Amino acid sequence: MLKLSIKIGCYLFLILLILEILIRVFHLAKDTPQRFIDKSKVEKWVPNQKGISVTGIRKQNAAHYRINNSGFNSYQEYNSTKEQFELALVGDSFIEGFHQDYDDSIGKKIENEFPNIKVYEYGYAGYDFADQLHLIHAYKKDFDLIDQIIIYIDFNSDLLRYKYTVIQDRITLQSPLNNMLKKCKLLVYTKSIGLLDPPKKLIAKLINSLNKKQPKTSKKSIEHTDKTAIYINNFKKLVQLYGFDKQRYSLLLNTNTTPKPFLDYLTNNHFKIIDFHQSFKKATAPTYLIYDQHWNNYGRSLIAKQISKTILR
Amino acid sequence: MLFNSFAFFAFLPIVFFLHWSLFSKKEQFQNLFLLVASYFFYGLWDWRFLFLIIASTVVDFYIGKQIYKNNSNSKRKLLLWVSIIFNIGILFFFKYYNFFINSWIDLFQLFGLELKNTWTLKVILPVGISFYTFQTLSYSLDVYHKKITPTTHFISFATFVSFFPQLVAGPIEKAANLLPQITKKRTFNYSKCTEGLKLILWGLFKKVAIADAIAPMVDDIFQNYAGHSASTLLLGAFLFSFQIYGDFSGYSDIAIGTAKLFGIELVSNFKFPYLSRNISEFWQRWHISLSNWFKEYVYFPLGGSKQGQLKSIRNISIVFLVSGFWHGANWTFIIWGSIHALLYIPLFFTQNNRKYSNTIVAQKTLFPSVKEIINIITTFSLVTLSWVFFRAQSITEAFGYFKQILTNFSFEIYHHPSGYRMIDYYLILVLFIIYEFIIRKNERAPFNFSSKIIRFVLYTLIIFCLVLFFDDQIDRSFIYFQF
Repeated sequence: MLKLSIKIGCYLFLILLILEILIRVFHLAKDTPQRFIDKSKVEKWVPNQKGISVTGIRKQNAAHYRINNSGFNSYQEYNSTKEQFELALVGDSFIEGFHQDYDDSIGKKIENEFPNIKVYEYGYAGYDFADQLHLIHAYKKDFDLIDQIIIYIDFNSDLLRYKYTVIQDRITLQSPLNNMLKKCKLLVYTKSIGLLDPPKKLIAKLINSLNKKQPKTSKKSIEHTDKTAIYINNFKKLVQLYGFDKQRYSLLLNTNTTPKPFLDYLTNNHFKIIDFHQSFKKATAPTYLIYDQHWNNYGRSLIAKQISKTILR
Repeated sequence: MLFNSFAFFAFLPIVFFLHWSLFSKKEQFQNLFLLVASYFFYGLWDWRFLFLIIASTVVDFYIGKQIYKNNSNSKRKLLLWVSIIFNIGILFFFKYYNFFINSWIDLFQLFGLELKNTWTLKVILPVGISFYTFQTLSYSLDVYHKKITPTTHFISFATFVSFFPQLVAGPIEKAANLLPQITKKRTFNYSKCTEGLKLILWGLFKKVAIADAIAPMVDDIFQNYAGHSASTLLLGAFLFSFQIYGDFSGYSDIAIGTAKLFGIELVSNFKFPYLSRNISEFWQRWHISLSNWFKEYVYFPLGGSKQGQLKSIRNISIVFLVSGFWHGANWTFIIWGSIHALLYIPLFFTQNNRKYSNTIVAQKTLFPSVKEIINIITTFSLVTLSWVFFRAQSITEAFGYFKQILTNFSFEIYHHPSGYRMIDYYLILVLFIIYEFIIRKNERAPFNFSSKIIRFVLYTLIIFCLVLFFDDQIDRSFIYFQF
């Protein structure tokens, strides 16, 4: 039995080694840029990184990313001036666009239609409304020079808090252990396709059964109370705290997934809205990636057109 | 516990290690440990149904002993009937009861009589019931026919009934093959273990990279058949042929391989059935343990082919119908069995049913002849079309599927329901067919190459394919578990 165990061990080691090489050769696993928190307590990517973001089994979608000097995914550097007409897109992963080539982003599509303007994309996966307003507030000098600012907001996930604080969970992804594990592309790929979920679940189950304390999460209690009212209140508090220039700022949202009370509040208080519901409704092809939750190329084109139509024309 | 689950890959090494270390001293320890492991394996699905296995074990163990002891033929026969009624009874109750009630109601409705559907029961089908009842039944029948001597060790017999690698989906073992291996002490055999591991790897490949990978497409095409063109529907039937083959033969390979790890040889269940040159050969290569069971315990007792042509046709028809019905309580399976009977009977008449009994395609050549290729394609096409009945939820759906093929005779490019590249699946299927042809002479040695480097490259590629085609979004259970 010892001979068998040694042989299995050797074979497994060699096979895993070759699998690691194959996954690197075919670039099946995604690259993940390094993140950090700057002096203004803004969480963003470490400047000047390049890589390929991959989604889906067998590399169904692959896109190049380029983190610029400002720490955001873009083909260009952000140098806002008084002379040039500039537009900023602020949002989460939808604006960040790791699911598309950096030179084919929503901003680039707008620029292609209006060559005289510059579109700066301040997108970062996981950003909510608090992150977005804090970012604009923290970089006030730069944003004051930008002519129009569009904030992408999803009512159900972006208004869970009323104050900005650094999200430690995301920063712990940057721990030395995580960084080391990310270097093993076989691990990154198998994790991304869910192959490692069963052992993870089993370990979690074991830990939970040992630690019988009830989780502190308040998610369920929120479901029982009036979620919409809480979120609207969070919105008001954030706007009050960080400011909101109604002349220059617009909210990009889908009115179909946004509750009516919030829409009424925005209209009554003269917040500018860019609604993409109608253009998505009239779409002649799917607007989302099938193996991903994000807009596909067609969806991004529709968003770009909607922004152009509402703001720029 | 599924063979392709993480739980099984945690369970198997532990059982393997304990079996050959702590419990290897005596066969009683080995069997007791295997029995506990098997009950644990089954109990993880639904511990309540363990009592059925235990009941079946106790009844047949006792009846086997009594049949052997008694000299009176009538008493022996009576005891045998008790075993048959008990085993078929539980099978009937859990699997066919609702089907018969619903069929009665439908029959009355045909004559304009409305019956209230108050007799049907909400019964869960216990996993593997069709397999272990047939196995225990074969024991009583073999003891009755004096083919074997009943065992006096209850634990050994219980291990024979519930041996976990083949408990839920076969191969259906006859007592004459499995019981003697269980009653004697097993010693660790290195080469047997490596053979077993190779079979497990090959079985996993068939299950994960073939069956599971194409399952979403098959589901999509069969569920939305009314909206598809003939080309897509034919593709759906073609893909299902490989889904069910990969699923069931993959399971059998893992079962045989796992049994080998414990020093036990199970019978082969699949021998490259899609390389068959006629339907008769197909049935010598597809689900062999079930075919043999029906041949030995139904066809031969009915008289086989020795009582004239008419009776032979009757016997063949009965075997195919019962075999179809064994798969599930639905008329679709009965029609599927009937189609195979209709395809088999002409071969029987023309005495071509044993033409390819002892040979495989391209037996002594590198490539098959043109005639062989035509025969293989014809047989495969017929089998594939019959699978439509097997896969359809109802007869109406199956006929609707065929009607759509005939009435919407056009070509369309099919797209994966999750948007994945289709070329990946076509490529893996082509490579699989070529590889199956290469290894066609020995179904129990899928990596039988003298070069160590070739073998290592193959292991690596197979594991790479497992990683590439694994999809956590799909249902990974085995199709034959429902039977």
